[in-house]
Amino acid sequence: MRQPLAGLAIIGVLALAALLAPMLPLGSPTDISKDLALGAPTAAEPFGRDDLGRSLLSRVIHAYRVSLGVAVTSALLAVVVGGPLGLIAGYAEGVPDQLIMRPLDVLMAFPAVLLAIALMSVFGTGAMLLSIALAVVYTPVMARVARAAVLATKIEVYVDGARALGATVPRLVLNHILPNAAAPMLVQASVLMAIGILIEAALSFLGVGVRPPTPSLGLMLADGRGFMVQAPWMVVFPGLAVMLAVLGFNLLADGLRDWLDPQHAAGR
Amino acid sequence: MASPWIYAARRLALAVPLLLGMSVLVFGLMRLVPGDPAVVVLGYKATPEGVRALREAFHLDEPLPAQYVRWLAALVRGDFGVDFRQNEPIGRMILDRLPVTLELTLVATAGAALIGIPLGLLGGARRRGFADRATLAIGLVGVSIPDFWLGIMLMLGLSLGAGLLPSGGFVPIGESVVENLQHLVLPALTLALSRAAVLGRLSRAAVLDVAQRGFVQFARAKGLAEPAVLFRHVLPNAAIPIVTVLGLQIGYMLGGAIVVEMIFTLPGVGRMTLDAVLERNYPVVQSTVLVIGAMFMLVNLATDILYGVIDPRVRHR
Repeated sequence: MRQPLAGLAIIGVLALAALLAPMLPLGSPTDISKDLALGAPTAAEPFGRDDLGRSLLSRVIHAYRVSLGVAVTSALLAVVVGGPLGLIAGYAEGVPDQLIMRPLDVLMAFPAVLLAIALMSVFGTGAMLLSIALAVVYTPVMARVARAAVLATKIEVYVDGARALGATVPRLVLNHILPNAAAPMLVQASVLMAIGILIEAALSFLGVGVRPPTPSLGLMLADGRGFMVQAPWMVVFPGLAVMLAVLGFNLLADGLRDWLDPQHAAGR
Repeated sequence: MASPWIYAARRLALAVPLLLGMSVLVFGLMRLVPGDPAVVVLGYKATPEGVRALREAFHLDEPLPAQYVRWLAALVRGDFGVDFRQNEPIGRMILDRLPVTLELTLVATAGAALIGIPLGLLGGARRRGFADRATLAIGLVGVSIPDFWLGIMLMLGLSLGAGLLPSGGFVPIGESVVENLQHLVLPALTLALSRAAVLGRLSRAAVLDVAQRGFVQFARAKGLAEPAVLFRHVLPNAAIPIVTVLGLQIGYMLGGAIVVEMIFTLPGVGRMTLDAVLERNYPVVQSTVLVIGAMFMLVNLATDILYGVIDPRVRHR
């Protein structure tokens, strides 16, 4: 139980800071000042300042709004779309299973980053579009997890029992199968959030993610690249910020997996 | 069903509809681009003559299914069409850049395997020892580091800082093997580290899993020395999941290569894709996305088949 708490604590602190960012005693993330440009880290400004004199600490915290927002939105969308698809495919099997899963296989046949880039090349840039693109990439993953869980659960004796007692199909699926399928989906969702933070940063860095004035960790890294010799803090801190958030979600996923599946934990 | 050949043939047959599906997806996606594709491709340089020529060259006036069939028929012949900006055959452009991406992926895979697998095996064999702790720590941190950031940090430290290695560019292996490898070290390391983390964690878990099995306990009970238990019973069985995951990592690296090629200015297919995306050069995007996607799918398929060959139990599922 230590790990999920550690993960939850990291994510909680980051999310709280991001949410309360406008109220925190931070410098403005957008005010430009020529005199302060490329200021090195100091006690008052621990992350230093960027090429336009903006506070990097403030920008990092504001950037978490986009980072966490995209990661959570895309994973939730994937749960909402992929989950039911997987439940239906797994419960029905046969033709509906094929009709649902084969097209999803096509989406999964591409590397995630490549598919996300291809989608963004059509969608255009922006945080909302990026969340949707990532949700498209994740939906087949979530559907597979849900389907596998249903296939494993529906042969359990208590499901047969409920069926024998006359439970309707929606009741069977929602009350007896879904609770067991929820655990692996929850773990998968935290893994996808970790990946979402990484992909958001990578795509914004490459210029196909979030659009410029929005503070984004990936965009900050892209800006910092041109100054990395004079002002290494411009690339060090945003990168560490990405890593911390990803680490938080990964710890959460690992911990949830152990907590929800004690058999898996025994092997560790 | 029991023969590995029949299993392989069945898996290969499934790849055909998948490839077709991938081509439909890529084709459809590029047709979703808002606006007239001819105008989008030409951008601000669009003239009525240019637009008309492009529409003819890409048969944009035909119905979509006809365009798709025409495109697919050409693809089957190895004809990817002509890039309208550089007026170069796209197939040729991809062939020129493919060796760079493949070499990067291979070197990075070798690196990931050489770092991750021994560490994980050691960690699994001696629980709570140094290697075990190192595997767990690298496993968690390694998968949390954004690879493009790791690339920037390596570049900052080892090439711009210490001046040990070039910070970008590429020298073909035919010109100078040493310089070729010098230019590949940092990009390959960048790609390899997070995959080494995954492989390390998995190798550790595989060894721990096998070590609990009855036949290992029996081998110990009959008095077999510990190294013999490890090399004769534990490692061969642990190898099965490791090989599978190694295959999946190769596929992952094909995606990661896009970002890494960009940072280290390597002239590979990944960078070609990204440049084309940024230039809104859709005929090129369509081709490279399909080529990288097909390679990814085939590597995963080959891994699947290999898995079936080395582990007969899989074939019966």
